[in-house]
Amino acid sequence: MASVTIKNVWKYYGETPAVKDLNIFCPDGSFVSILGPSGCGKSSTMRMLAGLEHISAGDILFDDQRINDLAPKDRDVAMVFENYALYPHKSVFDNIANPLRLRKINETVVKERVTAAATLLEIAHLLNRRPHELSGGQKQRVAIGRAIVREPKLFLFDEPIAHLDAKLRAHMRGEIKHLQRTLGTTMIYVTHDQLEALSMADYIAVMHDGELQQWGTPSEIFNKPVNAWVAGFVGEPAMNFLTCSVTSRGDDVVLRHRNFEIPLLAGQVSQINGSSQGGAVRMGVRPDALSISMERPDDAAIQGEIFVNELLGGDMLVDVSLEDCRVRVKTSPEFAGKPGEPCYLTVNRQKWHVFDSQDGHAYF
Amino acid sequence: MASRDVVSYETPFTRIARYASIVFVVLYLVWTLLPFLVMFMSSFKDLLEAFKLPAVGDWSGIGIFFEFTPTLKHYRSLFVDNSFATYIANSLIAAGGSAVISVIFGSLAAYSLSRVDFRGKQDLFFWIISTRMAPVVAVMVPLYSIFRSLDLVGTLPGLILAYTTFNLPFAIWILKGFFDNVPFAIEEAQMVDGATRFQAFRSILPLVAPGIGAFVVLCILFAWNDFLFAAIIGSGGAKTLPVATRELVQPQNIQWGAIMAAGVVTTLPMMALGLVIRKYLVTGLTMGAVKE
Repeated sequence: MASVTIKNVWKYYGETPAVKDLNIFCPDGSFVSILGPSGCGKSSTMRMLAGLEHISAGDILFDDQRINDLAPKDRDVAMVFENYALYPHKSVFDNIANPLRLRKINETVVKERVTAAATLLEIAHLLNRRPHELSGGQKQRVAIGRAIVREPKLFLFDEPIAHLDAKLRAHMRGEIKHLQRTLGTTMIYVTHDQLEALSMADYIAVMHDGELQQWGTPSEIFNKPVNAWVAGFVGEPAMNFLTCSVTSRGDDVVLRHRNFEIPLLAGQVSQINGSSQGGAVRMGVRPDALSISMERPDDAAIQGEIFVNELLGGDMLVDVSLEDCRVRVKTSPEFAGKPGEPCYLTVNRQKWHVFDSQDGHAYF
Repeated sequence: MASRDVVSYETPFTRIARYASIVFVVLYLVWTLLPFLVMFMSSFKDLLEAFKLPAVGDWSGIGIFFEFTPTLKHYRSLFVDNSFATYIANSLIAAGGSAVISVIFGSLAAYSLSRVDFRGKQDLFFWIISTRMAPVVAVMVPLYSIFRSLDLVGTLPGLILAYTTFNLPFAIWILKGFFDNVPFAIEEAQMVDGATRFQAFRSILPLVAPGIGAFVVLCILFAWNDFLFAAIIGSGGAKTLPVATRELVQPQNIQWGAIMAAGVVTTLPMMALGLVIRKYLVTGLTMGAVKE
């Protein structure tokens, strides 16, 4: 077990920077997820941690040891690859035993530990099979088995469950989280799926264009995004954005849109600071922070027209057309509105966000 | 890569085509197998019997061909009067030695060309295969001169070196394709698991085994069947089977029986090799080309 410090790390491919001045500290024993769309530099970061890519600039430390110049084999990390990377010509047993055998560990111990790992992952009955005789989920368990069998300092998981079907993925999320809690080993888990990151990680590092956007707990990332990009990337269905202007109306400061004028809460006025008065901002509100009704409610409401309803079992998503844009609302399946009918939206102002229209940083 | 049943429907044309293809296959079999049959039979015949042939068009007289008293005297003459055992050993050492050396250096070079990016890689690779483009005859004289000044003419190491010169580019070319099809992630997993780069390279060798197998066969066939190098560079001390067979043709006496027996002795090991790795060879030659 070890803590991981990534200090001012850059990665260049030729002239193109893939990772820009990255700073992350993963506490010992934590489950850290690096989240971002493809091409954001998350895999490069992981490969630098594993030693499969050189670090262009900066340092990576495991505890206090600088590991920049260590070969992968000397870093004592275990990695699970997106495509499993099992050895096709070896049995499941030999696959899992491989890291131990490379370390010349006594064969009786190897047998013991492989069996223990296989039992933990419920693949003990598959030990004599070859990888091509396994299903995707089983292959993935073998790959995890190969990682956990030797109790490394650090686990690196590179989108390990991206290729599984949705149901199995949901199941494996729980399994991997439980496994990490049981073993207590520091884990860095790269994914593009925000649901995986939110559901499993202790801390999430959101990356975009090679830069760290935000570091925080899943709830911080979800509830207090630092900029519009993070707010839009995290959360499913995605956050609604509306371009508004900030203006004064009597004693209130309001967000004005073509369709509506909604006053800010008292505390929010100070956060938005005077300079943006009169300027354009982007209002962000998640579908579940909006409520929809067919009658006009008393307080400030947004008027729109139902565009389409999507029933998702336990929830219903309603797309509402405002004059020039569309917003999504999450409501209960009992909602009776039909497409084309007028409706009214109320914003939960405790849960809305205002972002700068230029650089996208969050005022709140 | 499994072949699939293709639905086909009978038309007059396909019926004719089917019969035509059967006729073609039969003719092709006769064309390819008859020389071997004649060679094999003649090697067990006395010279007089061997030349007893029915007249052209006399199909009833074909029995004459099979009427003979088997004799091993031609084989005796090869192994007792001549030292064909030595020539077989020379052929085996030259072909096997060059195959082993080519596989070792070829797989190392192919792996590097497949995995490592460096400046001028494409040019280097082209240069390596371009060495195969010059006809052997064109380089024979300079090569002979070089080999003579190194005292390699007439020695087995010289012959092995000559074959390797021509087999190695071929090995690199074939094996690079096979390495290209092995996912990087497998070696990377090995290295993270605790392997050195060289151990990681060794660990993926089983995945290119079909390529290595195919190459070894082609390499051995090239050396085994070669006459030119063997006659010029190997002449004297490193006489191989084709050269020794050629020497059975003497100005005053062509030893047909012994030549037939030498042909059998030369052919059988390669046939055996082909049978043993037939399956390997076919998958090997196609597997590199098809991405899974």
